[in-house]
Amino acid sequence: MQRALFISDLHLTGERPASNEAFFAFLEEAVPGADALYILGDLFEFWVGDDDLADPLNAIVAGFLATTAQHGTPVYVMHGNRDFLVADAFCKAAGAQLLADPTVVDLFGTRTLLMHGDTLCTDDTAYQDWRRLCRGKDWQEGFLAAPLESRRAQMLELRSRSEQDKRAKPPVIMDVNAAAVRDALHDHDCTRLIHGHTHRPGHHLVEVAARPCERWVLQDWYGRGGYLEATASGLRQVTLPAA
Amino acid sequence: MKFSKFWIPFVMLSAAGAVDGTVSNAAAADPQVDIKTSQGTIRLELYAAKAPKSVENFLQYVKEGHYNGTVFHRVIKNFMIQGGGFDKDMRQKPTRGQIKNESTNGLLNDIGTVAMARTSVRDSATSQFFINTKNNDFLNYSGETPQGHGYAVFGKVVSGMDIVMKIDGSPTGPGDVPREQVVIESISLVEGKK
Repeated sequence: MQRALFISDLHLTGERPASNEAFFAFLEEAVPGADALYILGDLFEFWVGDDDLADPLNAIVAGFLATTAQHGTPVYVMHGNRDFLVADAFCKAAGAQLLADPTVVDLFGTRTLLMHGDTLCTDDTAYQDWRRLCRGKDWQEGFLAAPLESRRAQMLELRSRSEQDKRAKPPVIMDVNAAAVRDALHDHDCTRLIHGHTHRPGHHLVEVAARPCERWVLQDWYGRGGYLEATASGLRQVTLPAA
Repeated sequence: MKFSKFWIPFVMLSAAGAVDGTVSNAAAADPQVDIKTSQGTIRLELYAAKAPKSVENFLQYVKEGHYNGTVFHRVIKNFMIQGGGFDKDMRQKPTRGQIKNESTNGLLNDIGTVAMARTSVRDSATSQFFINTKNNDFLNYSGETPQGHGYAVFGKVVSGMDIVMKIDGSPTGPGDVPREQVVIESISLVEGKK
């Protein structure tokens, strides 16, 4: 059987050991035999540079992914809005390949667009401004030049401000913009979109230039975690059992 | 990068021209722990990449303080020193569940390496570990036979090997228990490596 798995928004951190355990169990139990594992962003709560592999949890996550890849399931990782500094050293340690956002794959004959999803939230202009800044080479080189502990402190500060800002923003602007979704599907000539980021799991039908298309949103791992499974029979969302 | 004929990925460049993953810095060293014993401190480097399950399990016990006040209860000269399971009164401490044996990770039970202890059951390791004081080839994975399952190496001694060898050479009584108790006062993550 041919099978691909999609996850995102695990936000792994030492502060939530249950999510870490759920992820390791998922890799050991649900993934073996799959043809591919796609991690569409925010694997980590934050990532301040590949020298953050010094954090034992991060090294352990890389190790588990490397084991998955060694056992025959290729692992693909995409940047999220929290872990956009994941780079070559992490991928090498994890046996993973970094995918661009967006990436198009052919899933059983259907052109499928894979995205983290943050670029679709075009109504959140403050976030899009920040994204343009922090994805730039200048900003990244400047940030990575600081010592590791200083970067960790800065990221914690950024996260805390982001949480405060989110509380002030109306929920609707933090969801994907419908026109941005239609444009993405149209521009990449895809009839299916899989993304995460919004933490609003679901399956939506979208009409693009009179063509029926679909949008799958991956669930986060704050609770029980889960994944999207693609086989020749179609796609289905699987929520993992409670610990 | 290999793909089966069903996967045809294209890399589409994002229109904004944002740089994806081109800026990076060097990866850091593996996590380290200090085993503070009644004989001195032994520092271990842990191979999270090659033995993630064993390292995760071990560090969980470290975080819980499980190892504090345990002893090296089994010492066999020119073989290994084993601890992390019994307290100073030789009572076995309760543990979490057994973990999968990672002995096929390619790491060898060479002198100075640390491995998970277990019973004759392949996947029975819990908290006990041992430090090899010789190249113990027969402990390496050698095949899918009851004798070949091997013992999972998950780290190595980076300093304090003289203390390990001192413990290794200490007099023992029945059951290979050191006559002078060797206490693990604490195991803690090394500052700056976390």
